[in-house]
Amino acid sequence: MARAPNSIDFWRGLALVTIAIDHIPGNFYEGWTLRNFALSDASQIFVFLAGWAVRLVLSGRKAQADPTAARMRLVRRAWTLYVAQALISAIALGILEAAAWWFDAAFIHDWLNAADFFGDPAGTTLGFLSLGTQLSYFNILPLYVALMLWAPAMAWLDARGPWLALGVSAAIYAVALAFRLNFPNWPGEGGWFLDPFAWQFIFTLGFALAGEAGLGGWARRHSRALTALAVPILVAGLLMVRFKWSPRLADLPEPRLFFIFSKTYLSPALILSMLALAATTRWVFPLVARWAGPVARWASLLGRNSLNVFCVGSVASLLAQIARYWTGGGLAVDTFLVGASVALALFTAWHTEWRASRSPS
Amino acid sequence: MARIPFTVLILAAALGLARAAETPAPPPAGAPPTVGTKLSAACDVPANDIANSGSLRNLGAKLARGEPITILAIGSSSTSGIGASSRSRNYPSDLRGILGKALAKAKVTVINRGIAGEVASETADRMRTEVALDRPDLVLWQLGTNDAVAHVDPSDFETTVVDTVRWLHDNGIDVALIGLQYTSRFSRDASYVAIRDALWKVADREHVLYVRRYSAMRFIAKTRAKLKMMAPDNFHLNDLGYECMAEHVAKAVVGALFVKRFRPVAR
Repeated sequence: MARAPNSIDFWRGLALVTIAIDHIPGNFYEGWTLRNFALSDASQIFVFLAGWAVRLVLSGRKAQADPTAARMRLVRRAWTLYVAQALISAIALGILEAAAWWFDAAFIHDWLNAADFFGDPAGTTLGFLSLGTQLSYFNILPLYVALMLWAPAMAWLDARGPWLALGVSAAIYAVALAFRLNFPNWPGEGGWFLDPFAWQFIFTLGFALAGEAGLGGWARRHSRALTALAVPILVAGLLMVRFKWSPRLADLPEPRLFFIFSKTYLSPALILSMLALAATTRWVFPLVARWAGPVARWASLLGRNSLNVFCVGSVASLLAQIARYWTGGGLAVDTFLVGASVALALFTAWHTEWRASRSPS
Repeated sequence: MARIPFTVLILAAALGLARAAETPAPPPAGAPPTVGTKLSAACDVPANDIANSGSLRNLGAKLARGEPITILAIGSSSTSGIGASSRSRNYPSDLRGILGKALAKAKVTVINRGIAGEVASETADRMRTEVALDRPDLVLWQLGTNDAVAHVDPSDFETTVVDTVRWLHDNGIDVALIGLQYTSRFSRDASYVAIRDALWKVADREHVLYVRRYSAMRFIAKTRAKLKMMAPDNFHLNDLGYECMAEHVAKAVVGALFVKRFRPVAR
């Protein structure tokens, strides 16, 4: 039996839809997603809630009885994510090749930064398998693999003391930003689009805030003050984004990564924006559940099956990109494409649960 | 102040000499013997087809002071070098060679941050971090082709470019926009033309140096049809295409440093 609609699944579902829309460049709805109104975007919500979900998994009765086994299951989860990443990358490359052939348009090989693969398939295949090569827009699952390998250590530390995991995580984050530590791209240059050393912090923050002790307990005791603090942070973020303000580089002290708005290194401003959103949106889900039941149920359905929905959504976004190229885009086309993507995601989630409900276990 | 144009003159002359030394074929007869205009025979096009003027105040000042300069080349496949015979044959590395010889006294670093397939808004986002970390004096932003292909709304494209160019200027960083390539497939494509025109308009309005890649490539394609500048896919450039692109960018940059003497700096 699938769990009842809840706030976490609801926001995860909305984040998944938002990510899918953000990954169709040039589409009309792209201008209306979270990143146009806040310094943070849907990918940060998704990773934050992934950390939150790890807490929920580990505080289940079965996990409490045997914590070590529960932590090992997180490693197993990392493998599942790795396989999913390899599969959707392969499907995406196949779709690009098919589209390039069908439209006789070699430039489609460039999309998703896949040109290296079509130029050097042998070297790049090793890159894909080592996660050193990632397609553009397909950067979240490799990050997620790395996070799931961190998760057992995080859980172990947390069991030793409620602030310990967060302390270690913050230290790694600070060192990463100070010294620009990142996982390397290979065989290409540069580093991962989403730096795991930086992004583990927001994942661990989600994990910590979901807990009863430590930061989670502290935040619950001070929820009113935190909400009051969050409102001006969000307003400031909104104004910065709408008026395209950013600090003057010359005024910034070193290390600059702490003060700019870098998504790759998840600068503190983005984390603050994410936390402020979390602190001010608790009332949304109950309201939606009461007055727009289907929206709450459907979004939660997506969020409950986030991996499958994410995989199908990634492929759907690529197909939508190709459809926009073919048709020339426009509001009607974009509406159809986004609608079809959401419908496909809902079907995927429904089908996943339908299949599970019929399996003998 | 007088030192700046003088230095630049020397640089421009050196650039011309460096190119001439490398290419045995003489430039076509009738080319005006101006400093800095000597392109290799294969890449030679009229000055009008190379660039629209814009100021590179920051770069000029740095060169005049004899300081090392850092150039950030950012954009999509034409910057990362798809279609070239090897990873190292992209236009930024050719450019490093040309400027390295031309500016023998200045230490020139060219950083390549091209990611194939990117539309301008994605590059713009990425640029903010790259610029903060790499601290370039000049950003060479190659853009537009993927926006045209993805049917990005030209006015959205314009907004992205204007915001980014102004941000760079506010931070005292020079920028040159490098336009779309010429390819027969898209020469009558409405979206392609619209993005190309939008880019030209923005560069003109914001007084930004604009490398007219489309015009230069079209000129070569029309006048030297036998010259293969494109990779077999007829969309990306090949080694020669990137070599010409680098020459044209180098000429535009040096030309913009030179023109400063005659024009008030517009912001």
